[in-house]
Amino acid sequence: MTRTEFMTLRENEDVKIVDVKVDLGSYAASDLRKVLENLLNEKVNKVVVNFSEVNHINSTAVGTLVGIAKRLRQNDGDLKLCNLASTLTRTFNLIGASSVVEIYESEKSAIAAFQ
Amino acid sequence: MQKDYIELKLSSSVYHLEAVRAFIGKLSETLMFSKKRITDIQLVIDEICNNAVYHGSTCIRSGIVIQIWVSVQKLKIVVRDKGKTDARQWLTHRGLEEIQARRSRTGESGNGLYLIKCLTDEHKLKPNNVGGTDVTAIFYRKERVDEN
Repeated sequence: MTRTEFMTLRENEDVKIVDVKVDLGSYAASDLRKVLENLLNEKVNKVVVNFSEVNHINSTAVGTLVGIAKRLRQNDGDLKLCNLASTLTRTFNLIGASSVVEIYESEKSAIAAFQ
Repeated sequence: MQKDYIELKLSSSVYHLEAVRAFIGKLSETLMFSKKRITDIQLVIDEICNNAVYHGSTCIRSGIVIQIWVSVQKLKIVVRDKGKTDARQWLTHRGLEEIQARRSRTGESGNGLYLIKCLTDEHKLKPNNVGGTDVTAIFYRKERVDEN
């Protein structure tokens, strides 16, 4: 069962914004994958994931985001991340995923990058 | 030295790892690690336990054991799994080299071991006497100058 209360969806024109409200270990990464795959199934192709309430991310969750970003790009869309704490950005940098998934300082700049 | 330790026994489920992260975070805080280092320690234990659940356990009842040793010099964490009948002792130094050789920034798995290597002061992989792997992560309490 997906703990949807920890991941809420909003819209800004044609961009879907996912607010993650839980630390992303493997259990929550599975929930996030379900939410993002639902968006893929609904033919949404522009997605921003807002990390302002996230304090932890592991490699499984990073891998999930990399995988979804690749699938969105196949549909001429993309996945962009915003509001990451410096410790989370460091994890992306260590793995090398920050060169694969775009990270923005704010939600506004992440949405603007789709224009 | 190191006669006192904490032992946590968990079923092989990632569901419990949130609580483990919280516990190790609080312990690291009392040991006066910096906030940045505490997040490293939490990430490392998350990655090791995650591997133990997915690669070192046959089923949820297999269980993993976490031993935590504290001394004046260091925090030492040992995660012990029981292995799988078809893939015993999944994690060896040679295996680690192979996984790292295949690791890709565009890949969706295989990065946990790399993070363990990057974020620990020392790490060890050792087959144990129950057919699994003991993964040891060591963090020195006097942090390196470049950590601050």
